[in-house]
Amino acid sequence: MELRHWWWKFLAIALLLFASITALRTPLTPALVHVSPDRIAPGTSVIEVLGYNTDFQAGSTVVYLENADQRVCPSSTEVTDATHVQATFDVPTGLKEHLTTVGVDRLRYEGALFTEGLGQGIEGGACGPSDASSTVADAPFAFPNRSILYESIRNLHFHVPMWFTMIVLMAISMVQSIRVLGSNALEQDRTAELAAQVGLVFCGLGLVTGAFWARATWGAFWTNDVKLNGAAVTGLIYLAYFVLRGTVQDAHKRARLAAIYNIFAFVLLVMFLFVVPRLNAVDSLHPGNGGNSGFSDLDLDNRLRMIFYPAVLGWVLLGVWMLNLRVRAARIAEPLDP
Amino acid sequence: MRTPLLLSFLFLALTTMAQAPGWLENTLYGNGKFNVVVVVVALIILGIGLWMWRMDRRISTLEKDRK
Repeated sequence: MELRHWWWKFLAIALLLFASITALRTPLTPALVHVSPDRIAPGTSVIEVLGYNTDFQAGSTVVYLENADQRVCPSSTEVTDATHVQATFDVPTGLKEHLTTVGVDRLRYEGALFTEGLGQGIEGGACGPSDASSTVADAPFAFPNRSILYESIRNLHFHVPMWFTMIVLMAISMVQSIRVLGSNALEQDRTAELAAQVGLVFCGLGLVTGAFWARATWGAFWTNDVKLNGAAVTGLIYLAYFVLRGTVQDAHKRARLAAIYNIFAFVLLVMFLFVVPRLNAVDSLHPGNGGNSGFSDLDLDNRLRMIFYPAVLGWVLLGVWMLNLRVRAARIAEPLDP
Repeated sequence: MRTPLLLSFLFLALTTMAQAPGWLENTLYGNGKFNVVVVVVALIILGIGLWMWRMDRRISTLEKDRK
């Protein structure tokens, strides 16, 4: 009979287990991460390619240079190991366009280098796969491998659910506040306060995890980005909610005043986190804002989403569970008159 | 009330050391930036753990009051 009330707690644990383990264990797709040199001239040049999670094989691995419709094949290829390959090219004069793409078998690195010297055009070489675009469908389950992000793309399943959980808890808090205005019940006022408190814990976790992710991708713990400042201001608005509560002595007066403030606070949360950062007038580094796309463009096969949504649901349920514990403890500590 | 304050101070401390030494960069960027994920997971466990510890204290007080 207890189990009937417990199912969502088991669900929370199962989802968090599944999402966290998969988020940490899933490999990244193979990719070419570094090409040197990045600028070559017609003539003989040796190009070194560094791969990540790749499996370069001596004898079968083919390196090539490419532009829109021309391909240059190497005069010799030397595979050092699974992630290092070196190729010697005799780059011809008279290319129609700059060679910009380096390919190794099915993997391509677009914009990897710049080749000087243009002319009327040459015959394209025939090496490497005819269809260079790697298909996602037949590849094993893996996360997108993107320069700058690399392995840190896994943080999507840890950092972002913190914010989803905060928003759900703040929404619960706001709904309770609306009910307070109708009923003037202190019980609902207390739930609103506790929900905002647990929500702030997740806000803090979101800020701190985001700061470290920013350090590794943008180079600084904090940037003056609209999304970041919006999140910080949202946190401060809710801190002010607790300050406001502390200034009113009368419990019923406090309940009504705090409820009105809390409803406005949630409106501001939506404005600062979702409306202002998305205005076309502002630029934002943060994915999903100010003309900067989210991870949906990386996610051809919805591979990130298959882990991300269970992670969000798991963390939201954990947040609600934490609120549930706070409310029950508060009921025992200070029983309110019915 | 105290937990969010604590977290905001922790966060302030973080932002003030934005000019971090090279070792931190080397650590964070290691293993294809996987170490950032380790830091993030550790921070979340620490945060939830801190909350659990305070919840534990709260319930201990309740138990004492009942006696």
